[in-house]
Amino acid sequence: MSSSSQREQALSLLAAANNHGDLAVKLSSLKQAKDIIIISSIDDDFSLFADQLFPYLVQLQSSHHSLVRKTLIEVVEDISLKTMEHSPVLMPVLLTLLNDDDSVVARHSIVAGTHIFCSVLEELALQFHRHGFVERWLEEMWSWMLKFKDAVSRIALEARPVGPRLLAIKFLEICVLLFMPDNDSRGHIAEVPKSSQVFNISWLAGGHPVLDSIALQSEANRSFMILLDLLRLASGHPGCITISVVNSLATIGRRRQVHYSSVLSALLDFDANLISKGAHTPSIQYSLRTAFLGFLRSTHPVIMESREKLLKVLRAMNAGDAADQVMRQVDKMIRNGERAARDARASKDEQPSSHMLKRSTPMDQEHIVSSDSSSKRSRYGSIIQSESGQNHSVNGVSTKAQPLANGLTPVEQMIAMIGALLAEGERGAESLEILISQIHPDLLADIVVTNMKHLPKNPPLLTTVTRQNGPPTSSSLGAPTMPNHVLTNTISSELPTTASSTNLQPDLKRESRRDPRRLDPRRGALPGGTSSEHIMEDFTTSAQPGLAESDVDMSALFKRQPPPPPVLSSAENASEIVMPKAETESHDPENITFSLELVPDEQATQVGADMEFNIVSDVATPPIDYVNKELNAEKSTDIVMTDEEHSLSFMDDDQLSPCTVDTPVLEETSVELPVVPSYVELTEKQQKDIRKLAIKRIIDSYKQLRGAEFMQTRMALLSRLVAQVDADDDVIMMIQKHIVSDYQDQKGHELVMHVLYHLHALKMSDSSEDSSVAFVYEKFLLGVAKCLLDVLPANDKSFSRLFSEAPFLPESAFKLLDDICCSDNNCGKDIRDGDRVHQGLGSLWSLILGRPNNRQAFLDIALRCAVHPKDDIRSKAIRLVANKLYVIEIISEKIEDFATNKLLSAVNKPVSEAEQRTEGQIGSQETSISGSQISEPGTSNIDPATGSQSDSQSDSSMSPALAQQHLSLFFALCIKKPSLLQLVFDRYDYAPKAVKQAIHRHVPILIRALGPSYKDLLKIISDPPQGSENLLTLVMQVMCEGTTPSADLVVTVKRLYETKLKDATILIPILSTFTKNEVLPIFPRLVQLPLDKFQTALAHILQGSAHMGPALTPAEVLVAIHDISPEKDGVPLKKVMDACSACFEQRTVFTQQVLAKALNQMVDQTPLPLLFMRTVIQAIDAFPKLVDFVMELLSKLVSKQVWRMPKLWVGFLKCISQTQPHSFRVLLQLPSPQLEGALNKYGSLRGPLAAYANQPSIKASLPRSTLQALGLASEPQLQQQNHAASFNNPDKSAKVQGT
Amino acid sequence: MRLRYAVVCSSNQNRSMEAHFLLKREGFDVCSYGTGTHVKLPGPSLREPNVYEFGTPYKQMFDDLRRKDPELYKRNGILPMLKRNLAVKTAPQRWQENGPDGQFDVVFTFEEKVFDMVAEDLHTRDQVLLKPVLVINLEVKDNHEEAAVGARQTLTLCQELEAIDRWEDVIDDVISTFERQHRRKVVYTISFY
Repeated sequence: MSSSSQREQALSLLAAANNHGDLAVKLSSLKQAKDIIIISSIDDDFSLFADQLFPYLVQLQSSHHSLVRKTLIEVVEDISLKTMEHSPVLMPVLLTLLNDDDSVVARHSIVAGTHIFCSVLEELALQFHRHGFVERWLEEMWSWMLKFKDAVSRIALEARPVGPRLLAIKFLEICVLLFMPDNDSRGHIAEVPKSSQVFNISWLAGGHPVLDSIALQSEANRSFMILLDLLRLASGHPGCITISVVNSLATIGRRRQVHYSSVLSALLDFDANLISKGAHTPSIQYSLRTAFLGFLRSTHPVIMESREKLLKVLRAMNAGDAADQVMRQVDKMIRNGERAARDARASKDEQPSSHMLKRSTPMDQEHIVSSDSSSKRSRYGSIIQSESGQNHSVNGVSTKAQPLANGLTPVEQMIAMIGALLAEGERGAESLEILISQIHPDLLADIVVTNMKHLPKNPPLLTTVTRQNGPPTSSSLGAPTMPNHVLTNTISSELPTTASSTNLQPDLKRESRRDPRRLDPRRGALPGGTSSEHIMEDFTTSAQPGLAESDVDMSALFKRQPPPPPVLSSAENASEIVMPKAETESHDPENITFSLELVPDEQATQVGADMEFNIVSDVATPPIDYVNKELNAEKSTDIVMTDEEHSLSFMDDDQLSPCTVDTPVLEETSVELPVVPSYVELTEKQQKDIRKLAIKRIIDSYKQLRGAEFMQTRMALLSRLVAQVDADDDVIMMIQKHIVSDYQDQKGHELVMHVLYHLHALKMSDSSEDSSVAFVYEKFLLGVAKCLLDVLPANDKSFSRLFSEAPFLPESAFKLLDDICCSDNNCGKDIRDGDRVHQGLGSLWSLILGRPNNRQAFLDIALRCAVHPKDDIRSKAIRLVANKLYVIEIISEKIEDFATNKLLSAVNKPVSEAEQRTEGQIGSQETSISGSQISEPGTSNIDPATGSQSDSQSDSSMSPALAQQHLSLFFALCIKKPSLLQLVFDRYDYAPKAVKQAIHRHVPILIRALGPSYKDLLKIISDPPQGSENLLTLVMQVMCEGTTPSADLVVTVKRLYETKLKDATILIPILSTFTKNEVLPIFPRLVQLPLDKFQTALAHILQGSAHMGPALTPAEVLVAIHDISPEKDGVPLKKVMDACSACFEQRTVFTQQVLAKALNQMVDQTPLPLLFMRTVIQAIDAFPKLVDFVMELLSKLVSKQVWRMPKLWVGFLKCISQTQPHSFRVLLQLPSPQLEGALNKYGSLRGPLAAYANQPSIKASLPRSTLQALGLASEPQLQQQNHAASFNNPDKSAKVQGT
Repeated sequence: MRLRYAVVCSSNQNRSMEAHFLLKREGFDVCSYGTGTHVKLPGPSLREPNVYEFGTPYKQMFDDLRRKDPELYKRNGILPMLKRNLAVKTAPQRWQENGPDGQFDVVFTFEEKVFDMVAEDLHTRDQVLLKPVLVINLEVKDNHEEAAVGARQTLTLCQELEAIDRWEDVIDDVISTFERQHRRKVVYTISFY
């Protein structure tokens, strides 16, 4: 078919589609027309044809049949994809129909547009790569596509039918994926870009006249933001929109890890309450769950980091099982990967570099896993290469390093990106802002500081940077004169930015890290960058031809090309060697290590190369100004001016000007973008000043930026700056002040932690700067700590938190703690002293718990406090140690040992003395057990053996207070572990008086604290060590105090008494539980005790137990006392008498009635108790009212022939004498011989008695003998009686005398 | 019938096949799949399941099990199930390998795990066509009785979806109403081809 007939046919078909009444005809005509158009699109004159036909097509968009419009969209899509060149004219159709009323049409136009979008993008990149330029129509198409993109973005946000919106959201996701580099996706098989989206932003790495990777990234950021907004505004959307957004974000998070943290936090923050009313909430929540599970599946390091968090969230969602399962799968995958990596490594043993082994396995695994994807991606580069047909010089090192170029640190990647944005001028400003807002604060800080590091040490060196529009280093086509560009070109397909070229320079000079330099892609873009690299490589190769040979071997992948002769290259680039040293040395450490791997023994070469290189750059330095001026006079003058300003300001040491220099990337660029910040070398001092100023500014910025804005960034920045200021006092003070002022809202702490961790990390990583960093660290930590102590109230926990969370505590920190806790000398702040100690101890506690490494040191401090001379401190510390620390198993033993040692030292120190003393004084000392009764100082003074000065001093130093000090801790521990008491018992005997006193003081507290749980105590009691009786008694006293002793105790003590210890003293406390039958046998023993003990015992006996009542009534007690027989029981009579007296002293207990009862009982006993009469006399003394009762007793005695019992008889007469005249009646009852004897003994009785008897009533009843004895015998009756009496009397009296 | 359906369970034997059978009988355009790595059928004990590769014809399994222990497999309903299945299609198919079968509008899964796998699988596919797919999970216990109930409810849901014009606009309502009426928990998500 000829082209003209085709054209006519197509025209008629389109006319039919437009005008025919039947829908089916319209549709089929349209489709046929499309087929014809596509067929004829290969014709040369198609453009004419298209010009004629397409307007008809466009007309169709206003068809009122939605099916026609829908088909039109399909047709437009097909045609556009086939004949893109001619389709710009069709694009308005697409845009119009986006807003079609029929959502199906709208949906189709989004889908069609998206497909066109992708292919236009791809075509743009490819065309430029193939031909080195972009055709006009393509640019036009792209501008339509941008319009399309904006329109679709609007659709996503508008309240419309859901269908198109879902697609719009999907489109946004695609945009983000297309425009964000995925250079992080190594090791991520599942996330490799799909065949559909072949376009990769990294294709633009070499620069592109239309597509600007930075602008595209900012577009991507915008799209991403829209998605985030949609999520935030979930309440306004139907459920499926929200689900779609969540899914899209999840996809972005998984495939573009730059956004992962934002996605994760957005999803985590998603508030289920925001879900709109009609939406199906469980599904939305499930979509979150799916997203998190998806993240969990990823093995990307960035995502792996958050695994814990994800697991936690998933568990909270009841998806723990699913999460665990995913984890298992992933772990398995990783293991398989590692195995594969190992195998791969084993086969690669031709490069047995130690670096290789050192590198972490995950990284290796990633490389292995991603190898196929990277080869996929690099394929593109190689295609271009072969197409271009250029002769490339191949450098083995860089070629080999190609897959490793991915190993750029994030910092360097970001620096490169920022640099690229800066180079974009105003266009980049917005993107830069977005970029920076997206960067993780730590990363951002690293970026800034990395750049600051590059502030030169050398005196200011004037340099300029030429801004390049073209990408000379990266595109071999753009700059065909460059001989070795293929290497950067191939890599540019891997890397998003032009920085790649600089990064590939295999400079191995580690020192250069500290050298002045700026890792700035613009520098990479300089011709000089490449050329100097060249030179260096050439030097390398010329120095070591063999090495060069091997390098080339390694580059077997590429066409092997001999490197250009060095001379030629240098000559070629001679004019370009003028670039500053800094630039040529800007390499990242990654590459250095890789290079090392590749060339195992090139150390020597390196040195050679470096030396040569330095020479070259030195030589190159002088003509700088000249060349700069030559190259672009305007700019160089500008920069000279600015630079002069800077130098001037430095000289003035103006505080503000340097600031503008030190934050060039962030601030200058946003203010006046086109001006490229000049590169200034600063002196040591200037650098210092600038750092200081930077810190000051950041701190000041807190005042302006309230809230959490950039909080993270500022913290990270500050921490890095502090690390650089080298322990400058002012700076540290300044920061401290700031931190403390801010501590309340807890940001201070975070900042401090940031700083400390950063310093610590530096210290760990960099051994060479060890001392200085360590010094800064220590200084900073202590400074902040002291500030906190000074400023914050003592009950504030910040101090403790600081020490607990600091990465490392230096020696001085322990010292500080020690000072706080044990300080005697902070007398200036006495008021708060106690609180401070409390604070210090509290900190110690948390530190002991939280810092196992330093546990011993903290414990030592705490223990020192526990034996502190000050009661206050000591008691606090003891409370801490005993209550909180002693329960911690690991350290309890140490605490115990310490306390034991203290106890022993208290006891033992004077032990030698005590022994000496006993030796010296053995004769003079009483054998009493209670050695404590001997006055300590006295004995030591008397004793000549212990006369040495030191001994007596140590003894006197063991004052009660000191003893107390040493023992308190031990006793506090005893409360927790009563078995420890054994030791006290064991050592008690040897303890000096002061210690004993201390023990006596502690024991009651201890026993009371122990309460009923004294099993261990019982064990001790059952077998008390020699010499501990006093202590034992004391213990028992306390134990029984105010309570009924437990049965266990009673049994134990009884057994003890029966077996070992015959001292009744120990029974006293438990006497109250004794029954009468138990008391009576031991009663003599009790009486035998010292009087005070007996009295106590008496009290216990009389008190009795609650249920049994007293063992003995008072009367029974009296009887028992009287029953004691001195001979039989071995009790001295004196003791018994004392006991009696003791009873009489207690008149409230031993009342009149009691006495009467007791006496009544006793008087009936045979034989009468020895002390009976004594007691009677005492009774009548004490209670005169008893006289009648006593008289009765006496009468009974008379009837018992008391005169036959001489000892009683004496008492009897004494009693009679004392109780006259009441006793006359009894007296008169006596037989006359006895009466006679009595009257002879007590002559004074005779008169009154005679008078009494002479009374008529009495006289009549008296026998005669009695009257006779009284001298009343004149009366015959009396005489008679008297006679009778005398009749009996002689043998009776003889009998008495005989007894 | 406008929409294309897929019904997915773990082994493409019981729940998905029950639904497949029912939907097919009702004239729906439906395919069925399993997401497991193998097809597992109960064996003489819990530890000895009968394991087959996907793609093994139902007939073959039927013969195999009938040979092994006809009584047991008849009693536990496996043989009748296989018989039903072989009348529906030849062999169990694996979801992850269903690319050539084209795109579905609605995918039903009968177990959360299966739902997760389908969602993850769709995520890893090339999403070029931008054709939305609705994935619905209806939790159904893996026994014959529940499978029958689940299939009937799936059918109801399909009929409702057919009755509406564009599911995107009303899916929340449809799901919520269905949940209320049948007292079942349902979740859905949206993915793309």
